[in-house]
Amino acid sequence: MRNRQNWAVALSAIVLVCCGALLLSQKVNAAGEGKITGTVKLDGTAPHMKGIDMSKDPYCAKAHATDPAHLEQVVAGANGGLENVVLYISNWSGSAQASTAVPVFDQKNCVYTPHVLAMDAGQTFKVITSDQTTHNIHPLPNPMTGNIPWNQSQPPGAAPVEKSWKAAEVIPVQCNIHPWMHGWFVVVKGPYATTDDKGSYTIDNVPPGNYTVTAWQETYNTMTQKVTVAAGASATADFTFKAK
Amino acid sequence: MRTRLRKWSLLLGAAAVLALPLTSWAQLTQYDLETRIGMESHVGNITGHAKDAKGDYRRYCVVCHGTLGDGNGESFPWVDPKPRDFQLGIFKCRSTPTGTLPVDQDLFDTIARGMDRSNMPQWSTFTKQERADLVAWVKHFSPRWTGEKPGTPITIPPEPEVTPERIKAGRDVFARVQCWKCHGVQGMANGPSAATLTDDLGRTIQPFNFTDGSRPKCGDTDRDIYRIFMTGLDGTPMPSFADNIKPDEAWDLVFYLRTFMSQPSKEKAMAKQLALKPVDPNAPVAQQ
Amino acid sequence: MRVFKCSRRSQVFRSATSLLSLALFLVPVVLTCSQPANALPAFARKYGLRCSACHESWPMLNYFGQKFKDNGYQIMNDRDAPIWQNPGYWPVVFRITPIWHRVSTGKVEVDTYSSVGGVPTPTGSAVQRISSSGFDLSGLDFHTAGTLEKNISFYLLPSSDPTGAFHFEQVFVRFDNIARSPWLNFKLGRFELDNLLSEKRILTLTGNGGVYQTYHFIPQGDGNIFGQIGDNQLGIEYLGHSVNDRSRISASLVSSSDGNVNLSTGANSYSGFFAGSQAFDTGRLGVQRIGFYAMAGEAATYYLTTGGGIPIAGSGIGNKSYSREGFVGQFYFGQHLDLTVVTQHGSDNVWFGQGYGNAIATDGNGGTTCTAPIPNGCPPNNVPGTVLPVGAQAPSWNGVTFEGHYVYSPQLIFIGRYEAEKMSQQANNGPGSLDPVASNFGNISTYTIGFRYNPFMTSRAGLAWHNEYNWLHQDGTGPSLGLASANVNTGEILIGLDFDF
Repeated sequence: MRNRQNWAVALSAIVLVCCGALLLSQKVNAAGEGKITGTVKLDGTAPHMKGIDMSKDPYCAKAHATDPAHLEQVVAGANGGLENVVLYISNWSGSAQASTAVPVFDQKNCVYTPHVLAMDAGQTFKVITSDQTTHNIHPLPNPMTGNIPWNQSQPPGAAPVEKSWKAAEVIPVQCNIHPWMHGWFVVVKGPYATTDDKGSYTIDNVPPGNYTVTAWQETYNTMTQKVTVAAGASATADFTFKAK
Repeated sequence: MRTRLRKWSLLLGAAAVLALPLTSWAQLTQYDLETRIGMESHVGNITGHAKDAKGDYRRYCVVCHGTLGDGNGESFPWVDPKPRDFQLGIFKCRSTPTGTLPVDQDLFDTIARGMDRSNMPQWSTFTKQERADLVAWVKHFSPRWTGEKPGTPITIPPEPEVTPERIKAGRDVFARVQCWKCHGVQGMANGPSAATLTDDLGRTIQPFNFTDGSRPKCGDTDRDIYRIFMTGLDGTPMPSFADNIKPDEAWDLVFYLRTFMSQPSKEKAMAKQLALKPVDPNAPVAQQ
Repeated sequence: MRVFKCSRRSQVFRSATSLLSLALFLVPVVLTCSQPANALPAFARKYGLRCSACHESWPMLNYFGQKFKDNGYQIMNDRDAPIWQNPGYWPVVFRITPIWHRVSTGKVEVDTYSSVGGVPTPTGSAVQRISSSGFDLSGLDFHTAGTLEKNISFYLLPSSDPTGAFHFEQVFVRFDNIARSPWLNFKLGRFELDNLLSEKRILTLTGNGGVYQTYHFIPQGDGNIFGQIGDNQLGIEYLGHSVNDRSRISASLVSSSDGNVNLSTGANSYSGFFAGSQAFDTGRLGVQRIGFYAMAGEAATYYLTTGGGIPIAGSGIGNKSYSREGFVGQFYFGQHLDLTVVTQHGSDNVWFGQGYGNAIATDGNGGTTCTAPIPNGCPPNNVPGTVLPVGAQAPSWNGVTFEGHYVYSPQLIFIGRYEAEKMSQQANNGPGSLDPVASNFGNISTYTIGFRYNPFMTSRAGLAWHNEYNWLHQDGTGPSLGLASANVNTGEILIGLDFDF
């Protein structure tokens, strides 16, 4: 909070009007805030994603009778765009965004949708099930970070589970009943975005300043890039992961 | 398994960039522990003091749980399930909801009850004071106990009278929440997912077999069994069903689970009379 | 663990004064007939626990170890079943102790000689202290024990003297938790009686300090060897205990043979041993336990003879009674200090007091029997027509044992012990006795101090650096030979390595 205000004070020398707005309300998408956009691509051929044998649970197998499920460690589009990459500002010194949006993690046809769910520390998210089979939702954070593992069942028709995470951490999620079900909660501090199926993303609500943008991909780990966001403008940061 | 672990550690490296206070799993030092030596526990009217348990811990516990409480004692390679890592502050047997710290009474009970199907004996030979001291000692290993409050114990309504209807209702709960996925339709730990289960650290783990005469890990009274599935066994694949089983249904399920157990019981006799069939894994699932 | 190979049978001939010196020599020997202690790294390996979990200091059990034993060598979960044992697990342990020791025995009657014309000529005898020192070895024990099946366990302990001659020290099979009740446990075989202060798990090793005098005391000239509750006995034992072992009771029926096999002695006579104890939770001090025990039985005083007086093994009749009863307390003062107290009253039938009872001399394990009648070596036999001398009466006595430990850590323990055995009624001091003895004749007092240091403590093996000193005083049993006092003082110092694997 204090740092955030310091930022505002520094900016006030340039834009006094905006300064006042920032100090009064940090939630409002103030006129001065910019954004970071870009595309994440894969250089090379995406590794083969193995098919998933769901025969142990006839419900799951049936759901994928015509559309076989595959692992999702690397999901690349036709033009090389990488899906499920989380982008965030790794040198973010402001507070958590406390966004009112509630990201949803769905268990559908015995896979996680989305495969990677990004969220802000402290942000409430929801785990729902659309399946007619019982899942258990079992995130595995490192308790030393302050994020505490839990494990809840979700039988068909179960109410959503609403939770949040205290600290920034990449948290694997699994269903023990369906061992192929594996996803991620990527908890960050500050604004974030996740790439779509074309590999493009937009991080909104970024105050002007110099930033290090980090792209996280579950197989290729991370890449970073420095960008400068001007007031009300859009900065671009494209990433290319090398296929391994 | 190994791959998963490797990936896991890689990702932890990534997470370190994000989280400043992040320490890797179980890397506390003797110094960290010293700062918490004043830890206390409160069980009934007994106050336990960590410092008084030092001798007992060395004599009885250190061989498995290790000097730093990280479960890496000298017997670590030979015992399975592996000794609990106290630094993580994650415990199977709790009266509190999943993802929360147990209350002191839970740890106090666990010490005397021991863990069936593990190398943890029943340390019922301690005096209550000594056990309370050990609880404080166990707590002093994890930083969680200084910053976090234990969860609120779940409320367990009084146990109703067993009736054949309740056993049948328990069978429906068993079918609806699909306990059989791991535990098998007859409680024989042979459900379709049984073979692939791993604990939080990626180590193979088996579901409880109700039929082989062993005791549930967290106690074998009806209340204990109720507590097990309503709080989950943290650190294991056993989830909490608190959101999906109503308290009254929970008792029904307890009664039904009793019918699997080899020990003679009223429930077992009733089930025999009812000629209860195991649930059909292929039947459509009834919605809540 | 015995340091000397010893014949456990004293053959004391009360009437022959000249044999008193033999008796004197035999007393420590008889009393040293401790059997090996039980300590099983095999168990520690099986459960992944350190020695210190079950042993206050190996081989002495702590409360948890006692509970483990009472449950039939089980921690009472599924890991007890043999199916959980590593295929490489083989529950065999050996124990042996290389030592240096020095024994100094006061007042031994020795022959004297002088040269008569260059020829050594006996000139009679004199009394002298004999001291001997040197490196030595204990016997070797092979402990094997384990669970044959859940709730069925065995113990087999072949034990040798230092020369390698083996015998079976302990052999039994036990059935525990019958009908799922901790109150129903049985064992059958040769085993130690249910002594809370176990002599088989004694922490000391010297000749006189390696046994509990209270458990073995026999009045001078007494022929009843069967009341030695420290010895392993042949029989059947019932044991019952609460789940947490706070309450425990036991009852045994044993042959009055003092553990001798082959029914050479002890045939047709039985003794019972009963013990009960209750433990109390006293907070930070620990768990205190008090209990009592009693042994009562009969033993033969008359053996049929053949060949003009040679007793026939196994033909014992003419049973006479005896009893031992005592209290025991185990008091803990926190994690470092504890004290065990045993008090015992003993009483033998008047016939035993006159030396009848052990007409068959044995080597302690049923091997040798008497082959020639008195006066050539066999003990007295209560043949028909035998009458008691005037003034004969039933001997009785009282004994007490105090044993304290300071447990600095699981690896270092200091031991201190005081024992006193005092006659309250001498066998020959009745009205009109022609041959009364001093009222303190045969009394014993003994002190033992020592420490055991385990340089390491793992779940794999045990090694103790052992240091011990024992001093024993016995009243009036030395050779008289015109000395002012016939009291005998014996001292022994022992340093060694006691190890097992």
